[in-house]
Amino acid sequence: MAGTGETSYLVATDVGGTCTDTVIFGTDGVIHIGKALSTPPDFATGVLNSIVSAAEPMGLTLEELLGRTHLFIHGSTVVDNAVLTRDGTPTGLLTTQGFEDTLHVTRGAYGRWSGLTEERIKNPVQTDRAPALAPRDAVVGIPERMDCDGAVVLPLDEAAVEQAVRFLVNEKQVGAIAVSFLWSFLNADHERRVRDIINRVAPGAYVTLSSDIAPNLGEYERTSTAVINAYAGQITNDYLTSLQGLLAEKGYDGATMVMQGYGGLLPAAEAADRAVGMIECGPAAGVIGAKFLGDLMGDPDVIAADMGGTTFKVGVIQDGKLEYAREPMVDRFHYLAPKIEVVSIGAGGGSIISVDPRTKVPHVGPRSAGARPGPICYGQGGEEPTLTDVMLLIGYMDPGQFLNGSITLDREKTERIFKEKIADPLGMSTQEAAIGIYRIASAQITDLIREITVERGLDPRDFVLHSFGGSCGMLAAAFGQELSVRRVIIPYTASVNCAFGLVSADVAHEYSVTQNLPATTSAAQINAIFAPMEERARAQLAAEGIEPDRMRMEWSVDLRYSRQVHEVTTEVAANTPLDDAGAARLVDDFEALYERKYGRGSAYREAGIEMTMFRLTARGLMPRPTLPAEEEGSADASAALIGNREIYVETKGGMAPGDIYDFNRLQPGNSLKGPAVIHTPITTIALPDRMTARMDRWRNIVVEFDAD
Amino acid sequence: MDPMTFSIIRHRLFRIVDEAVITLKHVSGSAITNEGHDLMVSLYRADGTLLMGGVGFLHHLTSAAEACKSIIRRFEGDIHEGDIFLLNDPYTAALHTSDIYLVSPIHHEGRLVAWSACFVHVYDIGAVNPGGFAPQAPDIYTEGFSSPGIRLVAGGEMRQDVLDTILNMVRSPEMVTLDLRSMIACNNVARDRMQSLMTKYGAKEVDGACAELVNQSEDLFRARLRELPDGQWQSRQYLDVNGETARVNLTMTKKDDRLIFDFSGSDPQSPYSINCTKWASLGGLFAPLFPLLCYDITWNEGVLRPVEMIAPEGSIVNCTRPAPVSVATVGAIQSVNNAACSTIGKMLGASEKYRNQSTAVWHANHFAIFKFGRNQKGGDSIGILTETFAGAGGARSFADGVEIGGEIPNPISRMANVETVEAAFPVRYLFRRRAPDSGGPGEYRGGTGGELALVPHKAPDGGINYVISGKGSRHPMSEGLAGGYPGAPNSYVWVKAPEDGANTPVTAAGGLDAISGTQERVSWGVYPLMGRDALYVRWNGGGGHGDPIVRDPEAVRSDVAAGLVTLQSAGDIYGVALRDGAVDETETMAKRKSIRSARLQQEASE
Amino acid sequence: MSGQDRISASVAVKEGQAVCAACGHDLGPATKPWKDHAQRREIPLAQAGGQAYDTGHEGVLLRHFYCPGCAALLDTETAMAGDPALDDILAERG
Repeated sequence: MAGTGETSYLVATDVGGTCTDTVIFGTDGVIHIGKALSTPPDFATGVLNSIVSAAEPMGLTLEELLGRTHLFIHGSTVVDNAVLTRDGTPTGLLTTQGFEDTLHVTRGAYGRWSGLTEERIKNPVQTDRAPALAPRDAVVGIPERMDCDGAVVLPLDEAAVEQAVRFLVNEKQVGAIAVSFLWSFLNADHERRVRDIINRVAPGAYVTLSSDIAPNLGEYERTSTAVINAYAGQITNDYLTSLQGLLAEKGYDGATMVMQGYGGLLPAAEAADRAVGMIECGPAAGVIGAKFLGDLMGDPDVIAADMGGTTFKVGVIQDGKLEYAREPMVDRFHYLAPKIEVVSIGAGGGSIISVDPRTKVPHVGPRSAGARPGPICYGQGGEEPTLTDVMLLIGYMDPGQFLNGSITLDREKTERIFKEKIADPLGMSTQEAAIGIYRIASAQITDLIREITVERGLDPRDFVLHSFGGSCGMLAAAFGQELSVRRVIIPYTASVNCAFGLVSADVAHEYSVTQNLPATTSAAQINAIFAPMEERARAQLAAEGIEPDRMRMEWSVDLRYSRQVHEVTTEVAANTPLDDAGAARLVDDFEALYERKYGRGSAYREAGIEMTMFRLTARGLMPRPTLPAEEEGSADASAALIGNREIYVETKGGMAPGDIYDFNRLQPGNSLKGPAVIHTPITTIALPDRMTARMDRWRNIVVEFDAD
Repeated sequence: MDPMTFSIIRHRLFRIVDEAVITLKHVSGSAITNEGHDLMVSLYRADGTLLMGGVGFLHHLTSAAEACKSIIRRFEGDIHEGDIFLLNDPYTAALHTSDIYLVSPIHHEGRLVAWSACFVHVYDIGAVNPGGFAPQAPDIYTEGFSSPGIRLVAGGEMRQDVLDTILNMVRSPEMVTLDLRSMIACNNVARDRMQSLMTKYGAKEVDGACAELVNQSEDLFRARLRELPDGQWQSRQYLDVNGETARVNLTMTKKDDRLIFDFSGSDPQSPYSINCTKWASLGGLFAPLFPLLCYDITWNEGVLRPVEMIAPEGSIVNCTRPAPVSVATVGAIQSVNNAACSTIGKMLGASEKYRNQSTAVWHANHFAIFKFGRNQKGGDSIGILTETFAGAGGARSFADGVEIGGEIPNPISRMANVETVEAAFPVRYLFRRRAPDSGGPGEYRGGTGGELALVPHKAPDGGINYVISGKGSRHPMSEGLAGGYPGAPNSYVWVKAPEDGANTPVTAAGGLDAISGTQERVSWGVYPLMGRDALYVRWNGGGGHGDPIVRDPEAVRSDVAAGLVTLQSAGDIYGVALRDGAVDETETMAKRKSIRSARLQQEASE
Repeated sequence: MSGQDRISASVAVKEGQAVCAACGHDLGPATKPWKDHAQRREIPLAQAGGQAYDTGHEGVLLRHFYCPGCAALLDTETAMAGDPALDDILAERG
């Protein structure tokens, strides 16, 4: 641990699909940023490379930096990757006899169409389920049965369990076993006894109980969760162990905290046993980062949009709160674990533009040129026009300015191919066609975000839009305006937002109890459900070194109208433990929330209200690094004005002169008017006509729409 | 029109339908809408022709168009901004009374420019049996409230007297209110979004794009038809109810860029409520046509233009008033779905280019079982057994059908978890799994259907009752293709507990025959599930594709290992011999050879 | 009809004649019902094999049409006794 007086560091590294990003906060208030390519499946190499890339400009070796580091926070795609590449441990499943097909049948067609685009759903003949992670011949039904109250209907046949375990391990060669029985979330006794038997008969096998990993109603999703966790568990364990070993070798002796898909941190040892928790933790960190900035800037309602090379992701923060996904999936597998909702579509800078030869209608995506061969203009062999190429053709990218001039963009070739493949078939000039494609892309993103907000009963006009990722800045002001958001912000940390999100997260544990009770349940009875959870949570946090004054216990309850299916997670706003007024307020809050989400008149009160799940989020508050803020100076941005060229200007209906600015020369307080383009080292910000961009005191670019 | 603006408007029309569907599900909150996806929302042009069909129960797309048109005719000169009309008369346009259409005109600057329409299967419609399917109804008069068109909302104001009258005729008026409210909200969203689209791009531009979209679909569909061979293909469906069998006969003729579906020769209308009206038949044939032939074409009026239907009046596919039709959606309409799927599959299979798009019939036989009674918490429970939405995929020319993989007319359905059912109803499942030998054999096997058994559990009244409209336990209905066998038929068995007072079974790993008691087939009417009795249901698998004796023996071995095919079928139908869990190749070759020679030892027909 | 067309996946067309797609055996003109030239066999559904077809109901048949040349199963119909065969034919040229 660092000595007093010397700067000590918090290091956060996020492994993404393409890049591994690092953010380092020093106790001296300086932020350092690093980036390296991800190195699947040996992700640890990329992690060290990324840290080195941040340490080098600091004049530190890896060992020097890690020797002065007090906390390492990590997010990784290791679990997603194991599932996507089918690289996990061969897994077997023990389940209730008579229900052996539950995993493979996926509640009927659900598993066949889930995760597919509407285009593919409309052609059912060409759709299939993804093969399950536990093959059907590695599923064994066990005689046992609980009922809907968790009462034993048929006792566990232990001899059958032992025989099944031997069969799976010896004949099916599985290294992991998932156990999922009907109603185990109400009575886990049978599952626990099975674990004991496995530990005795096959001590080397990795075991996941559905009642541990997903103690919720719904056997298909619970079983699927247990199987995913068993399948990826060993890999996750091995990865986190080896990463910590490597860091220790380089002189790090502090704790490693691991990001979870619900946006909280867990100590590495705990994270290793809950592989499903790490799924999509990167995008979750991105939303956490956006929330941190929103809080800092006084904007509680944020739409966080991230557009990179292949995907466009959207997260919504409402009133400073995050939304959990209702039916999370990894690849095409359903699972039950709290996960921040991030909606993703295949639209990015690399999205390929095509013209339907039958109808002459242009399309953006869904195919992508990816990182390789990439857009035509990168000159790496790309032969199909992409959205990035369109950005070049409409003047938003500067052939000589891309990534600090490290690549010169090939405008001639881009123009030639775009004309041949897009403009000519459309019977338009290259310029007109490129402008048209830009309008289509912007409109489609507008449609997507509108749909996402409508689904939540929200109005985009109440929100601030944060733009992250290399491609988003060129479109954000345009679609932000069409959505009529309050303003658009391109954060200073936009390029490493997920790593930035890691440092703004807290330690958090999620607990839940599934129990069906009427809304008239007394406060005392509700308190009795939460008390044991709180006790467990406090012990857990204490074991992690969290002081009692930094513990926060957040209660919430899922409620619904008895004859309707929508459950709404409602936060307990009153002081806990509850008194009767607090319990009554919970029900009122649910009703208000329900109407806001599902529309006026959507509630059927006469049927009564019931509580279905009791959730506790136990937080251990982490020290928040402060973002260095500067004084805002003069509005005059002319020192950063580096040129003027023809760019697409919507209000002019075509190309028109626009000012070109260098982000690195802008100072806090500088303000500039569109039409203009701001080049930053990693992205380009297009500022349409009748908008004003200002650099704020944290060096974020804030775009406001001029009043009419 | 500028292709860019066209592309943007087209995309937005899709999203408008999506948003309206979301609204419908949100406000309704009912299980059948949210889980079964038993709903539909679509947009229509000013003249009531289909502009943009969404993903839902597809046989409604054309019927709702007819609903719009009949409202236009009935209320001509009296259609105003903010009006919403209700229509559920099957002899006017609806499929059956419980699928209520709400149809709403969309005005822009005072002019009628488009329509939106949606339906949900309402909680109850006041028929002789609860839940909407009325196996005991002898005629349309006993199938509940029905209207050929009535103004429910006038200029944005609910007509309370009309609403009260409707609610006065149904069970659980609160739930029906919610259903109606959700449809109103859905139409309101569609109207608002269409209006803002027109404000942004101009009503003329939008209508121009709509016209072009329709013409484009027509051009694309005609071009596809011209690529397919000219010829005629036949199929036949048998529907059995209470021992009586009715036929649906179909001859589909494809000539140049036209397609004619001729149902001549189908049986006269039935005394049972499986009949359907002609609008329902039209919807029934389009439901598979859209996803099979027009999977990459926008589903609108343009697809309708090249198609003609002939359905003899007074037949089961074009019944005349007052024939009962409440079970139509899982009766004659589904048979029309199947018959059309079969002839379209044959035609696609006849084309080199489109062979991979052909499929044997999927899940041909819904079983509507509505459970009702007091549950373990003392409250009333009523609901459909959602396994009927689980379905089974038909085999394709290149792959097996998807096991319990859904159906073609409703692309996004799902069934409830066992725990969800057991939490709400006083029943316990003994098993729920894939049913062996249910998938039609073939070189590519039809997807298996499933089987389940229920017993009463902790029921305050000793059990529950159910309404079953279960036809199709006699005839297989999921036809195969190119020699493939049909999927096995449905089976509904009431197992009556032995008199000796044995306990309710707690498990039945051996399936139906492991449940002690006498087996009695049930199919039509209202039955109890009480005491120590059990209800067994098996639902049909998909049809197979090609000759089973050329199926890869390894695939047969793995089917047997997974319990999808019995050892007996592996030998008798597939000609595959297994020894110690492995394929015996010599024996298999011999077996297949002997099957072949046995085939030719028969006398040739005629 | 184009040179690639068939009547179904199992019945091909060669020079205007329907032929078995497996062995090429002639099944008569493509514009006439090819089943007249196939080997036909009807069996009660319950005897078709396996468990699930045995419904306990009488009078339901599986009707198979085999290629007289190679015994390939070309088509299967569900039928009741006396119902005509389903005819699939291509249109006359021109």
